[in-house]
Amino acid sequence: MSTPLVQLRGIRKAFGGIKAVDDVSINLHPGEVVALLGHNGAGKSTLMKMLAGAYPVDSGDVIVAGQQVHIRTPAEAQALGIETIYQTLALADNLDSVANLFLGREKLTPWRTLDDDFMEVQARKVFQRLNRNFTNIRVPVRRLSGGQRQVVAIARALYFNARILIMDEPCAALGPEETAMVGSLVRQLKADGVGIFLITHDMPDVFGLSDRLAVMKNGRLVGTYATADVTEDQVLGMIIAGKRPEAIAETARSAG
Amino acid sequence: MSDDAVPLWRRTGVDLRLLLMCVLLAALAVGFHVLSGGLFLTPENLYNVAQQTAVVGIVSTVMVLIIVARHIDLSVGSVMGFIGVLVAYLQYTSGWSWPAACLAGLAVALVVSIYQGWLVASLGVPSFVVTLGGLMSFRGAAFLVADGKTQPVNDAFFQRLGGGYDGGIGTTWTWLLAAVIAVVLVLRMLQRRRARAFHGMPNRPLWLESVLVAVPIVAVFAFAAVMNDYRIGDKPQAQGLPIPVLLWAAVAVVLSFLVHRTRFGRYVFAMGGNPDAAALVGIPVKRVTLMLFALLAVLVTIAAIVSIARLNAGTNSLGTGMELYVIAAAVIGGTALAGGSGSIFGSVLGALIMQSLDSGMLLLDVSIGKRMVIIGQVLIVAVVFDVLYRRRVGDN
Repeated sequence: MSTPLVQLRGIRKAFGGIKAVDDVSINLHPGEVVALLGHNGAGKSTLMKMLAGAYPVDSGDVIVAGQQVHIRTPAEAQALGIETIYQTLALADNLDSVANLFLGREKLTPWRTLDDDFMEVQARKVFQRLNRNFTNIRVPVRRLSGGQRQVVAIARALYFNARILIMDEPCAALGPEETAMVGSLVRQLKADGVGIFLITHDMPDVFGLSDRLAVMKNGRLVGTYATADVTEDQVLGMIIAGKRPEAIAETARSAG
Repeated sequence: MSDDAVPLWRRTGVDLRLLLMCVLLAALAVGFHVLSGGLFLTPENLYNVAQQTAVVGIVSTVMVLIIVARHIDLSVGSVMGFIGVLVAYLQYTSGWSWPAACLAGLAVALVVSIYQGWLVASLGVPSFVVTLGGLMSFRGAAFLVADGKTQPVNDAFFQRLGGGYDGGIGTTWTWLLAAVIAVVLVLRMLQRRRARAFHGMPNRPLWLESVLVAVPIVAVFAFAAVMNDYRIGDKPQAQGLPIPVLLWAAVAVVLSFLVHRTRFGRYVFAMGGNPDAAALVGIPVKRVTLMLFALLAVLVTIAAIVSIARLNAGTNSLGTGMELYVIAAAVIGGTALAGGSGSIFGSVLGALIMQSLDSGMLLLDVSIGKRMVIIGQVLIVAVVFDVLYRRRVGDN
């Protein structure tokens, strides 16, 4: 097996006295989808926000493509090829889709001004790829439908060539057609060798898309298993009771 | 939604709200002109209104950005008073040349503003609280600089910066400036069209863009003609554009450029639209906030210089209550106090509307008390209109 794209080793994070993430270790390989499961407040989002640079890590090692890294800001995470699609989508509602796609990474002209034409042309291409009906890209995103807003958020990951993609509940606000679109996109990115962390509550997504699943409860990792080895009931048992299924080998795939 | 479904006025890219405000301003002017028996729309009155609005207008342009970024600055009047007295004191009592005094004033303004900006950006203290403290403290500082004594400024060139007798740029320069603006507007339109065609993007019809460029050009020339028609007393030459108005226009152009063409402006709007998203996508929120407060310092200094040059003195009461006019101009100009939306040109119109109301009522001999009551209520009407307008257009 190749070097993991991401190795998280003994990651801890506390807010005040509360251990939000407590000694969690997970690997992610190229072309692999790892589903992160657990109740609200289990620590999945916090763990991913540390990888995305939104929160600093209290202790533990983050190793990206074999290199130990210290990710302090979202910009540093982006520089490592880590893209995040947040549950909230992280869109500035008052700006248009083009501005949101490039937000924080604007293309500048040689005179250090915004290269709006270039950005509009590029944006149109990416949006077309995701949804051919999405043409009103110059209106503030607050006027867009839930699916279109999602397209803008996903387009960021696509345009900036994510190596590692974190998707936090990507289908929570979507209709069936758009959910299918996200599903096919995940498979396509997987085929391109992108590693994906998928945070979700939706069992069909877990079994339809993921290669492995990791369950968290109260900040701790319950276990990591190959999705094919476990049943839905066993997964629910882990999420709700924190009970590991018996006689099934964990697949941490920690070996390099 | 295809492009055909969009109403024509929206496809033109004209901001309906700004258009309405232009109409309101024109209606006010005509209304006061009729009621006052032909006193309002005279070169003298328009010259004075433009020049009196400049100080509030200059600070309003940047107040728009502060409010867009979900902050507020209540200390601008006090800081302007402090810097004004300081610049006057350095010239009169310390005997500095006016450029040196102005630069020193700018340096102190930067320190003050970055101190307040740092409390807001790094420590997360609400800007309302920080600048409310500043409102008191810097008024006190304005008193301390010269121990409350008025500091006259006598330099003839410096006094021109405030407008006044020799404070116009003259007819030749005014016409020239108007011509340059016209040429720039036309060239910019052509360059935009070429760039869009180059990128394979559709252009709007040429006649439409020509109209959209012709209207401001006509307005600029009309304004230049009026300014060139005004003579103070029996002075032989006409005034032309007053220097404070020139500075205000330059400031507005520079800030509009920052808003539309630079990262800084885009980040300010993104931070106002969704602060969490701004941080998550990697915008350096603290740095942008500090830069914003630094920009405020620069403009407050310019306003302070214009004020003392206009009054020919720096006094410790300079700019008292100005923060309210500045914020009101921004709000009347369509800046949402919730952050995320506002325009520089709107603040220009907002400041002009307020000053026109005030001057117009003065011409009609309305007492100071009644004027204050009315202007206060106009501010409320502006906010109510803002709320209703956004609800209707669907921008909440």
